Amino acid sequence: MSDNRGPAPDGATDGAATAQADTRSVKTGSLSSLVNTAGVYGIALLFLVLGAVLQFTGAIGNFLSPQNLLNIVDAVALVGIVAVGMSFVTYSGNYADMSVPTTMGLTGYICIELLRYGFIPAIIGAIGVSLLIGVLNGFVVGKFKANPIIWTLAVNYVTMGIIRLVWVNKQIYPDMKGSSPDVVALFDAIYRLRFFKLIGLPLVILILLVVIGQFVLTKTSFGVKLKLTGSAPKAAKLSGIPIETVIMTSFVLAAFTAAIAGLAVTSLSRVGAWYNGAGYDFKAVTAIVIGGMTLAGGRGTILGVLGGSLIIGILNNIMTLIGIGTFSQDMVRGAIFILVVGINAKSLRSLGRDDA
Amino acid sequence: MNEESMGLALEMKGVRKSFPGTIAVDDVDFEVRPGEVHALVGENGAGKSTLMKMIAGSFDDYEGQIIVKGREVRLHTPTIAKKFGIGMIYQELSLARPISITENLLAGRLPRKGPFLDKRLAKRQARSLLEGVGLDLDPDLPIEDISQHEAQLVEIAKVLGNDPIILVMDEPTSALSREEVERLFAIIDQLRKRGIAIVYISHHLPEIFKIADRVTVMRDGKKIATKPIGEVTREEIVQMMVGRSVKEFYKRQERTIGEARLRVKGLSRFGFFHDVDFEARRGEILGICGLSGAGRTELARVLVGLDRADAGSIEVDGSPVRGSTMAEHLEQGIAYLTEDRKIEGLALRLAVDDNILSAIIDRLSSASVFSKSKGMQRVRALIGELSIYPPDPSRTVGNLSGGNQQKVLLAKWLASEPKVLILDEPTRGVDIGAKMTIHSSIEKLARQGCTVLLISSDLPELVGLTDRVMIMRKGHFTREMDYGECSEESLLLAANGDVGTGEGRAS
Repeated sequence: MSDNRGPAPDGATDGAATAQADTRSVKTGSLSSLVNTAGVYGIALLFLVLGAVLQFTGAIGNFLSPQNLLNIVDAVALVGIVAVGMSFVTYSGNYADMSVPTTMGLTGYICIELLRYGFIPAIIGAIGVSLLIGVLNGFVVGKFKANPIIWTLAVNYVTMGIIRLVWVNKQIYPDMKGSSPDVVALFDAIYRLRFFKLIGLPLVILILLVVIGQFVLTKTSFGVKLKLTGSAPKAAKLSGIPIETVIMTSFVLAAFTAAIAGLAVTSLSRVGAWYNGAGYDFKAVTAIVIGGMTLAGGRGTILGVLGGSLIIGILNNIMTLIGIGTFSQDMVRGAIFILVVGINAKSLRSLGRDDA
Repeated sequence: MNEESMGLALEMKGVRKSFPGTIAVDDVDFEVRPGEVHALVGENGAGKSTLMKMIAGSFDDYEGQIIVKGREVRLHTPTIAKKFGIGMIYQELSLARPISITENLLAGRLPRKGPFLDKRLAKRQARSLLEGVGLDLDPDLPIEDISQHEAQLVEIAKVLGNDPIILVMDEPTSALSREEVERLFAIIDQLRKRGIAIVYISHHLPEIFKIADRVTVMRDGKKIATKPIGEVTREEIVQMMVGRSVKEFYKRQERTIGEARLRVKGLSRFGFFHDVDFEARRGEILGICGLSGAGRTELARVLVGLDRADAGSIEVDGSPVRGSTMAEHLEQGIAYLTEDRKIEGLALRLAVDDNILSAIIDRLSSASVFSKSKGMQRVRALIGELSIYPPDPSRTVGNLSGGNQQKVLLAKWLASEPKVLILDEPTRGVDIGAKMTIHSSIEKLARQGCTVLLISSDLPELVGLTDRVMIMRKGHFTREMDYGECSEESLLLAANGDVGTGEGRAS
């Protein structure tokens, strides 16, 4: 008597019939997301081939040289570190953390200022301050439902103002703060340390972050809660999931990886400057979206985001080698971003969902 | 066209509409005469809303003929339907709240004087439209400043402004008080005298007997019968709707009711409900009956920790419920199935298993590592018990039918093994098969000793399933009825504020 099989004249008739008109068997298993992730790496490979072809046709030189490939990997490492953390924010359904650029900048200033007290205190202090920004972002967005883009954008500008006010619009250098040369050397090594004279520290950190991030996202209770929060915040809340805490954690993770990238960039340039992280917000979001993580939240993988970062890195490199200026590169990245978001939205809509 | 159909305002012949996997309306004939109130009844999911959406021009791919005033028409868009004189009044009001009555009434056809709005003429037109429904209001007032009942009448006035031949009303009284219903009926009566054909969709059978001339019953997408109202009884209509008698539908099994489990004392949330006292025991299904706005959902939200109480206490098994978050209340055994399935209840984009396990993530985790496989046995058992179709845990919930979605939602809370389960409209919008499954599952849960609080507007459900019903009205518990004294009529009367006389479980 309790059977409800087959084409029952169901709730589909009353209410929002059209919303569930699609009965094709779309599975949410990990298989489809793996296929997507593989697709991202396929595209990355295509870009590599494109670079190679351009080199052989003589349009660009030295794309395949070891030094250039190393440059690509180094650039990917920085974008990737930011993107992995920020992807938790995207996954939580809160799009992106636009406060990343000045969080990175501030981390550099704080670290350089604290170098006089030793290397470890400086690193901890710098990361600690950036985590405070993450807590603030997560609290306001999670608790008060502020629009994440607007709020973090505002925080970005406020932080920029604070930096320029406190350091009277000046850049600062690691060796001018009375820090011991040994400590300065350690700071310089953050970016320059190479294992086996090849693998940079940022790359090692990125790989660690990807492995840990993928584990956290798929295997931990936090990851499962984050998926529910990103997919259906109200339903998550009414399942007893503390979505405010979950969202706050995702912003803290974004701030954490931004801080690491900020330290690396500052170490690279040997200067603390408010614009050190400029552009990393958009590069990271683009990597995340290209990597198959949809802006609607709850979908995608960290491995995919790594692939997205790879694509961004290779593309930037090719454009630079061709001689496309920075401004034109920005245009290309913007266009790609729009394209990917558009394709995503369209393919989801054709699956009968309009929530891209 | 023959003579007969010339005299009809609306005629539908052999209409059919299917959705993938479902035939929502199957070969239905339906007609309305000018000056007639034709009631359309059926269980949720019987196809009446789909039939009405067809008339409203919501579908461009229906089959069959629709004839308006003797002329065959294709109602493929809402604009075309409106042009042919079809007016729709939906359950949810379509008025824009911050703008004035005038602008709402005359939206799209505001009178102009040159390039400017002719304010005086607009106001005059609005006033005469309001008079048509017996309202004496300042047309400059924004909608948000008038009562729900007045807004309902403004909505009707707006539709009447388009001079409809056919007026479709979908549950127009669901948010109205008893006196307001009387006023609405007086207006419907006037419209009938003006020769407007009225299709009246309602769940309230007593209303239908009061206002309708004829009644058409639908079940499972098919028309069962059309009869003059004087030739049928309520029991016959109910029987046609459910396909079997209500008594047969709710076969009760013996349950033993144990000691007190949930004790609520002086619970208040100011502005919503006040001084609520009750006790619910192990194995008991306690119904909470009241009109929308009586404070039922608000009470549930406080019990489950979503909102804070301003006063009073909640005890489960003798110990006061600690904490102020839903997670804490859930840990102490109070679970809540929400009224809204699609947004508050389920993550439609996720799989069946993800949804079923979503309330017990922490319980399935050790040292923060989540073990899905630990929960899968429970998922499979629940899919089997509730006969969720297709029986595939990895299926996306949004692609299931409404009834199966509702079963997944129930499965999520069954998985949490609650001591007290609060169900808010657990069978709204589901087909009869799913409804029966859900009901037998609720009974089984109670037999296992769980305390069930059943909030429902479905009176047969309350009458058939509960041991006791508390009547809630305007934020207070006004009455309690046990199994013997409650009937659909007595509940309805009590919810409306009358002191009903128990007529037994006749329905």
